[in-house]
Amino acid sequence: MTELAQNLIDALALGSLYALIALGVTLVYSVMDMMNFAHGEFIMLSAYALYVLAGVPFGVALGGALATGVLIAVAAELVAFRPVRKADMSAQLVTSLAVATILQNVVMAAVDARPKSVATPSVVSETTQVGALSISNLEFITLGMTAIVLGGFGWLLYRTRAGLAMRAAAENFDMARLLGVRADPVIALSFAISGALAAVVGVLLVMQTGQVSPTMGLTPVLIGFVAVTIGGFGRMLGAVIGGLLLGAASSLLGSYLPADLLPFRDAIVFSLPVAILVFKPQGLLGAATGEARV
Amino acid sequence: MSAVRLRSRSSLAVSALAPLVLIALTMAIGASGTPSLRGTVITILCEMIVVLGLQVFVGNSGVYSFGQLGFASAGAYAAALLTLPAAFVALQTPGLPDLIEDAQLGALGSTAVVAVACGVLAAIVGLPLMRTSTLAIPISTFAFLIVAYNVIANWDRVTGGSGGLVSIPRTTGIVSAGLWAAGAVAVALAYKWSTGGYRLQATREDEVAARSLGIGVTGERLVAFALSGMLCGVGGALAVHQSGVLAPTTFYFVASVTTLTMMVAGGARSVFGAVLGTIAVASVNEALRGVEGGADVLGLFSIGNTPGLAAIGVGLILLATMVALPDGLTGGREAGELPWLGRLLGRTPVGDLAAPRFVAPMGTQKQAAATRAPAERAGALNARGIAVSFGGLRVLRGVDLTLRPGEALGLIGPNGAGKTTLVNVLSGFLAPDAGTVELDGVDVGGRSPARLARDGLTRTFQGALPFPQLSCLESVAVGAMGVGARRGKAVAVAAEVLARLGLSERSSHPAGSLPPAEQRLLGVARTLATNPRYLLLDEPAAGLNEAEGEELVAILRGVLEGFGCGILLIEHEMSVVMSLCPQVQVLDDGVTLRVGAPAEIQADPAVIEAYLGSSYMEVANA
Repeated sequence: MTELAQNLIDALALGSLYALIALGVTLVYSVMDMMNFAHGEFIMLSAYALYVLAGVPFGVALGGALATGVLIAVAAELVAFRPVRKADMSAQLVTSLAVATILQNVVMAAVDARPKSVATPSVVSETTQVGALSISNLEFITLGMTAIVLGGFGWLLYRTRAGLAMRAAAENFDMARLLGVRADPVIALSFAISGALAAVVGVLLVMQTGQVSPTMGLTPVLIGFVAVTIGGFGRMLGAVIGGLLLGAASSLLGSYLPADLLPFRDAIVFSLPVAILVFKPQGLLGAATGEARV
Repeated sequence: MSAVRLRSRSSLAVSALAPLVLIALTMAIGASGTPSLRGTVITILCEMIVVLGLQVFVGNSGVYSFGQLGFASAGAYAAALLTLPAAFVALQTPGLPDLIEDAQLGALGSTAVVAVACGVLAAIVGLPLMRTSTLAIPISTFAFLIVAYNVIANWDRVTGGSGGLVSIPRTTGIVSAGLWAAGAVAVALAYKWSTGGYRLQATREDEVAARSLGIGVTGERLVAFALSGMLCGVGGALAVHQSGVLAPTTFYFVASVTTLTMMVAGGARSVFGAVLGTIAVASVNEALRGVEGGADVLGLFSIGNTPGLAAIGVGLILLATMVALPDGLTGGREAGELPWLGRLLGRTPVGDLAAPRFVAPMGTQKQAAATRAPAERAGALNARGIAVSFGGLRVLRGVDLTLRPGEALGLIGPNGAGKTTLVNVLSGFLAPDAGTVELDGVDVGGRSPARLARDGLTRTFQGALPFPQLSCLESVAVGAMGVGARRGKAVAVAAEVLARLGLSERSSHPAGSLPPAEQRLLGVARTLATNPRYLLLDEPAAGLNEAEGEELVAILRGVLEGFGCGILLIEHEMSVVMSLCPQVQVLDDGVTLRVGAPAEIQADPAVIEAYLGSSYMEVANA
């Protein structure tokens, strides 16, 4: 019983992290129909801010990571993604892949190809005893951050003017523009928020592993992609559910898979979405866009 | 059979020879250089095969796959294990079955086995992947790449795990790599110009229109995916026999981006582009890799140890291509279609679009006599009690409709009456909530649009939905290919249909370059090439001027007499409906208001009230 509870909490924590990644990916997708591969590099660069800012108070470093995520995301949109805004989804995906490759290798050239360790406050790695359960503080932080981010996100989307513009853009961008929503600020804003979400994930990953590496964004962004795909393209709630499912599946497989199959956990986790898509080609909640226009 | 061809002999020859010439030049440079350059050239030729494999799927389907390197990896491992001496195999991969452990095939044998095995593997993997949506395929192929990597990196007893394999025989020479690359070019071109290749390209140009012409999207994609996996596997097998070492990361993320860049830089739709792009990007890549470890550049400045420089270069090329040159160096054209090469060879370019179009009023043509035997005119399209709701909105509430071959039925009604929804149901694009559709007495409920097109029922759309990159002749030929015609037959049918519709002059123009009115006409031509018994036309005259409208009526009358198919005509332009259709069905608010002759309809007060509006009578009586 205790073990089950423990595993469920682990599953929820990992699922929360994945949900945050998926939310960042789906936000940009919903306003400009682009699956942004460079989201992984937004995560990676935010994490490197913590490495570069080693020595300054941790709170300041966190601020630096957040600023990095936002700035890189906005800059990438301005320089690379704006020129291909009219292109089809595949072309945009490939463009973002190019941006990701450049950012990843610039870090490799400028810092190092090998992982670098980053010190985090010791409180992060301690555990707290809750009854019979020992819950790592990192899990508390992850769950807390997810709750705050989801709450803030909901407030922004449903209680502010900017949020209304973003939701309108997500529904039908052309129509929204005709009604006076200006495209550039809305897209820039969604990239900024997406970058902030990436920074949160980057910080959490550093706290989890204690290190940064140029390729650390690859697995997270693919997890985000898969979560968005199984949740239904452009569905915010679908992305959160997809992330939670994927994280929970990964965590529970880690706990219950027989030892000789354990190395193949990722293979199983990444096969699941295809199985879902075969039966529900539009994802669990159905795609918000991309239906056949007849 | 007419002498019409999809492309001229000279264009065909240039398209086929140009990539081979490039390969031969590359081989010559490699053969005359240092052993290190030789090795590099062999590697590039192997990469080229993988890029050609990528092109076969991505270029023709327009759907990106990031997973094809998974097949290259699988092919490389299979080839390595098949050729490693048994003692080495036992040492590195103790869990391998004896059959493979003892197998020690030659270079040719192992590559051939790999080609078949990777084709089968890709077909098995593609079976679920190709069923997912167009949006989801890039993501799920990425997932496959990770799965393949994860399995290879952790299946220690068979693959040697993350440490990889060493001492693999280095048997790939410059000649064998070049010959395989030439073979890959031949396969890629042959596929592109096959009926299956054309059907897949049509889905790339417009998926919905392609389905309406009888093309099964999933099946066509699967064929290309398997062929692509085969070529990628061969590329991987030859590459590993060049390098002699293999690790799970050899064909993983970096290689995926690199090969993708090569294809995109050359122009994804073009086989020539794949060859050109591989050579161009690989040259830059190799040059940058040379200075990664630190170098003086022309004595001007020095570069320190900079890992990642080559990858930055690849990323920049990819970004620059996507932003500035999305169709790549070739513009997506084969060598024989390149205008500058054509001028160089002294060929005349495609005729000027401004030239007057030859108009053949079909109704007056003698040859427009019935081409269908009277017996085939039996049967009917019968819909009974069709009901459709979108959410709480009941768009159709029990509509009946009957259409017979050789007859024209007008379907009119105010906006929102449910006309297009009814056509969507009849053509299989939408499943009704209730009701049955019978085709010649057979219940066809649940059949796909593609299947219905092969059964003899096809449609046009309110938009023209052209295949912009295909020529008009190709666009119409695809209609015949969609219902199973071979290439020669399809081209002959297409030429005949184009002639009948007065579009012959446009044969070699890209469909996307036509003016809107001609694109609509081309849409009708495409459906006629499927040899339909029932043709559903959704507002074919929308956007046409009066003269064009009259021409359309003449053409459709010719279709009725010449092709003998039943036509269901949705049209707002009353003069078109009244002059063509002896029977008119009026829909209003999801129910049939009236079926009758045009004169009766025009006189019916309820119809006037619902649709024509009271002012119509005043105008009509005036």
